[in-house]
Amino acid sequence: MNLKTTLIVAALALLGGCAATPPPCDGPTTRNLDAAVMHVKDKLATGCTAQFDSYFDTLLTTAEGNPRPENKRVFSEFLVWTADSGLLSQRQAKDYYNRFFNVKFMTLASDYNTCSHTCPRRDRVLLDMERELSDKERGLLRVSRDDAGYYRADRLYKEVELVLEATCTACAAGR
Amino acid sequence: MHATQARIPWHRALALAALLVPGLASANTNPTIRLFPTTVVEDLRQTSAVAQEMETGLQEVIGRLDQQQQLYLDSKCEGAEGDPGCQRLSKQIGATYLEMLEIMEARLPDMEHTVNNTRLSLEKRLRSEIGTKMTSWTLQETLVGKQKTNAAAPSPSLRGRSGMRLSERFRQYYQLVASSNTSADQSLAVLASDIYLDMDETSVLIARTREEIARATLIEQLNQSFGAITPEMMEVVGGVKSILFGDAPEDIVIAGPPPGSVEKPYRSPLEQ
Repeated sequence: MNLKTTLIVAALALLGGCAATPPPCDGPTTRNLDAAVMHVKDKLATGCTAQFDSYFDTLLTTAEGNPRPENKRVFSEFLVWTADSGLLSQRQAKDYYNRFFNVKFMTLASDYNTCSHTCPRRDRVLLDMERELSDKERGLLRVSRDDAGYYRADRLYKEVELVLEATCTACAAGR
Repeated sequence: MHATQARIPWHRALALAALLVPGLASANTNPTIRLFPTTVVEDLRQTSAVAQEMETGLQEVIGRLDQQQQLYLDSKCEGAEGDPGCQRLSKQIGATYLEMLEIMEARLPDMEHTVNNTRLSLEKRLRSEIGTKMTSWTLQETLVGKQKTNAAAPSPSLRGRSGMRLSERFRQYYQLVASSNTSADQSLAVLASDIYLDMDETSVLIARTREEIARATLIEQLNQSFGAITPEMMEVVGGVKSILFGDAPEDIVIAGPPPGSVEKPYRSPLEQ
């Protein structure tokens, strides 16, 4: 057997080996949310942290298949676990949870007054709120069946839009 | 004797003030935003009264204009402008139109003044109470507060109040503000914004209308010599009617949540 043949055989053997073992960071395939969370926890604990966003999205999709108010608790406990495990910071975990499952908009988090900080970037803030609202639609409405919560968020978005329009006009007039 | 009777103990005076001055009653329980001090409430009341005066003044003349226009149409004057009877009708319509413009010219400065007063007071309040004393997060918390504590209370509908009498619109604003209490700061923030933006638009419209009146009066005075009814005239009258008297207000329907069992909501330790 010459060198070329040996290399081809070795490559085929390697390919065969890959097909037989599952990829190390595969996502959950089960339709059961609790089982899916267990799977994701296992993968995250064994080094697949780079896949976190993709796993979170898969978990949401899994939960959409069986929407119920308890799903909020499942996601909360999962995110608390990620923070406790040091995979996410407390702040990141809160951001994830509140972006999808709380009425309030994380986009509005700010330490400075409305005139000086929010008004100059009002269009951007509203665009980000709109995106966050669509995440809330997913988390509150489609995952947790919290219709009232989602409608509150939708109404809040409209109120913030109106109040910001008036306040920023007033701020601009005062300059 | 009289002086003694007239003196009110300080604690009773404070209690009375707490009832009369919005914000004072619950000042020690919740931080309040003072968007509607008595001056703003008074400005609103006055705007409503001025708008009503203007409507009353114009109602008769617009009614007469409607009748004359109908008579003009019934007499098949369109296309028969040369007919002496139709010319006489045209002149009468033109004269009534001028009368309408004169009434508006006389009333609009008052209207402009009160609208501007309200707009400027609210502008100052919004800037200080929400613009500089709040972050976007605290503003959000203020707005959310209403939904938690006062979910069943009717909230002000957002914008789009055209199709309502001007005086009625301001009267409703006045009533909403005058009957509000400080536990609904959240509604007041929305209401103040709504009124302010409305006043801002109204202010611009009044300024434009005043500019236009001078031009329209001159044109109509010229038209009086020829007895012509211009499409512009009809348009102006239509515009004035819709601004002042509005159309039948439509009920604003806000989607409610689908019926379902109300479960106690889960509260995550991550929730902010």
